[in-house]
Amino acid sequence: MDWNKFCEVFADCELLGNKILIKSRLHDVIEFVTDNYPYDMLKEIIAIHNQDGLVELVYHLYSTIDEENLLISILVKDRAESIVDIFESAQADENEIYDLFGIKFIGNDKLKRLYMPENWEGHPLRKDYVQDDTRLCWNDDNDS
Amino acid sequence: MTITTLKLNLGPQHPSTHGVLRLILELDGEKILSCEPDIGYLHRGMEKMAEQMSYIQYLPTVDRVDYLAGFFYSELLCRIVEQAQCVELPDKVRVIRVMLLELNRMASHILWIGMFLMDLGATSPFFYTFREREMILRYFEKISGQRMMYNYFVFGGVRRDIDYLEDVEEILSILPSKLDDYEKLIEENPIFRRRVVNKGILEKETALNYAITGVNLRASGVDFDYREQDYLYKGFDIGKVILKEKDSMARYRARVLEIKESMKIVRQALDYLKKSSPLEQKLINPINLKLPEGDYYADIEAPRGIASCFVRSTGEKEPYRLKWRTGSYYSVNLLRKLLVGEYLNDAIAIAGSLDIILPEVDK
Amino acid sequence: MNYLYFLYIEFLQKYNIPKLFGDITYYFIPFCIIAAALLVVVLALVLVERKLLGFFTQRKGPNRVGWWGLLQTLADAFKLLCKENITPDKADRFLFNLAPILVFVPMFAALGIIPYSSEFTFVNTSTNVILYLILAAFPVLSIFLAGWASNNKYSLFGAARSIAQILSYELPMTFVILSSVLLASSMNLTGITLAQTSKFWFSGWFIFPNILGFIILFICILAELNRCPFDLPEAESELICGYNTEYSGMRFAIFYLSEYAMLFANSMFMAILFLGGYLSPFGKYMFSSSFLIYFEQAFWLFLKASILVFIMIWIRATLPRLASFDLLKFSWVYLLPLSILNLFIAVIIKFTGGG
Repeated sequence: MDWNKFCEVFADCELLGNKILIKSRLHDVIEFVTDNYPYDMLKEIIAIHNQDGLVELVYHLYSTIDEENLLISILVKDRAESIVDIFESAQADENEIYDLFGIKFIGNDKLKRLYMPENWEGHPLRKDYVQDDTRLCWNDDNDS
Repeated sequence: MTITTLKLNLGPQHPSTHGVLRLILELDGEKILSCEPDIGYLHRGMEKMAEQMSYIQYLPTVDRVDYLAGFFYSELLCRIVEQAQCVELPDKVRVIRVMLLELNRMASHILWIGMFLMDLGATSPFFYTFREREMILRYFEKISGQRMMYNYFVFGGVRRDIDYLEDVEEILSILPSKLDDYEKLIEENPIFRRRVVNKGILEKETALNYAITGVNLRASGVDFDYREQDYLYKGFDIGKVILKEKDSMARYRARVLEIKESMKIVRQALDYLKKSSPLEQKLINPINLKLPEGDYYADIEAPRGIASCFVRSTGEKEPYRLKWRTGSYYSVNLLRKLLVGEYLNDAIAIAGSLDIILPEVDK
Repeated sequence: MNYLYFLYIEFLQKYNIPKLFGDITYYFIPFCIIAAALLVVVLALVLVERKLLGFFTQRKGPNRVGWWGLLQTLADAFKLLCKENITPDKADRFLFNLAPILVFVPMFAALGIIPYSSEFTFVNTSTNVILYLILAAFPVLSIFLAGWASNNKYSLFGAARSIAQILSYELPMTFVILSSVLLASSMNLTGITLAQTSKFWFSGWFIFPNILGFIILFICILAELNRCPFDLPEAESELICGYNTEYSGMRFAIFYLSEYAMLFANSMFMAILFLGGYLSPFGKYMFSSSFLIYFEQAFWLFLKASILVFIMIWIRATLPRLASFDLLKFSWVYLLPLSILNLFIAVIIKFTGGG
């Protein structure tokens, strides 16, 4: 695929094979890619909490027409742009990432805790999550 | 006049949500105005668990991601490790895996037929399908010792050589006539047709936008079967099932046809295995297994859509991050759109036709 | 009926009990008989249904309690008796408790007006048919009460569906019954039965001139009984259990019991209207003594009803549930015109002397 057009528009991105590392303007990048390239499916969003404290979001785009993968990767702190208006399936992924990594997706107002209780503090898949949490032990000492 | 709407909690304890799915429905009479799926009642923390276990410790647990198609998920994890260790599978291992995967797909689809008919209010097909599925599960039990959580695939191969091939032969000889019986009992039934034809139409664009994969996508007319690109299926003749109708009936038909196609693949594998020499494989030593630093990714065409596994390794014994992608998770998200405007009793049928399995959703 | 009365008075006189006592207490006897028979019939029916469903779905059905699972329903009933009667907090207590009673009473009364044999009709009025129709439609009231009073949304849906269903199926049913009444020129169930007598075996049964009517009635009764494929009010996969979701223990048992009793009563009603009721299919009875003939007649009626029940169970094992719109459409668009057509046919048969 011809990525020159893409690199002209988004100058600060880095192309590594089928992976694009971007620093900002996530929504614009994905909109541009879906408009100009035959990627029609957002397969999933993978979130990884890096050791340096930033969360890496990998948007896994897929084209059912020519069966190609494209990964768009961005490092975020605790906020990211939502792409629900481009791919409805992002609703599911963003919700999960909000629950497990604590990333707020701006523009997605349906975010809620999925797996964890509504009032749960902390996000389990972050590396700074306290593992031996006393809240997980249902004994009388923790009732207070 | 003000319209009063009714909020109905469908689930988590409800006979037809196939587990513990909770749908918060807003109803006007019996018409659904909005649907908000709420999941997480079956969350087992599969991804968090992986970060504290070595690969071989994690391997037996992955069957539980989807208890109806356990082989697919062990295959994914094995594939990740094999990919990282650059192991080429011997042909026989490959064929064994394909045969078991396809048998598992058949078992899963057969069960779905029963569940779907149960949702529609017909109780008998449920028992018939269990009878057929039982044959396949018996075979799995014979070779792996387990009916659902097989733990049969290991890194670099399979746990032991395949055996009891005559059982597979029997399954292949009995099943077609049973499928014909279903056709007579179910497909030609006018009540059934009224409830599924032109109900729950899933347009191609919507399906792609909601990242629906697998049979549901192919029933909407998208030509996309991951098995074609899969190295495991190299040399196999795979018949794709692509239907144009987009409705619940198409999803039903697609699954029935896919069972037939799977039978053909199993037949090919069986013919190979009958003539093959005893198994020779080089297993990866799982003790102190450390994957080289980097990202690993594997896909597979599971019965409920594309399943994939992502692993980031930092060179430790445990994966740094492991993520599952499961088909049902996105199907649940689709309910938000697909159920709106339908009537309650159609909604159950439509939700049933998507084949949602909750352990897969909640992971 | 008089036969039973005389037997009773005679029995009392043997012990020098005044006739007045007999006159008063006599009316309790039929109800005792019905209650006893009902219990046996329902227990047997539940077992038979489970056995048959097991047979249709290649299972064994209940086979642990007693020989051939004979005591299974008894054990279930006992279990239900021992269970707690839970009334939901926000339920309307009075109506919630009233509903099971209201479903039970009309069912009892309906069984009282069925002519079991030429002498055993406990309540014999000249317009039995209408009385039966009213009593058979009565349970819908209690279903509605149960659904409303439970304060449960699923129950409410079940109740609403049930009302819509019975309203739309009552009409074709009435038209069909009217055709039978017309052919027999009688509104009395015994009269209708006797009008089907003929010289040659079962040629006089109304099913032969009126097969269309029989089929319509059968469908309507399936709908009236909320049985598959018309089981929308208690659609398990949609509404959990419909109107009796919140009921437990004995109150649930009463709903369950009355459902099966109604199933049998309606089958007998159908047998009377179209299959010659208690008449023997061979044109003559096997026994000659009058006392035994009564039993034989009751046997024929039960056999005919049982066959109908068997077909209903068979249908349940085969068909999926109708969609809610099709349910109403089916009645108003197909059944109602057909039943009116059927009535015309009956009129023509009647006045050309065919029936």
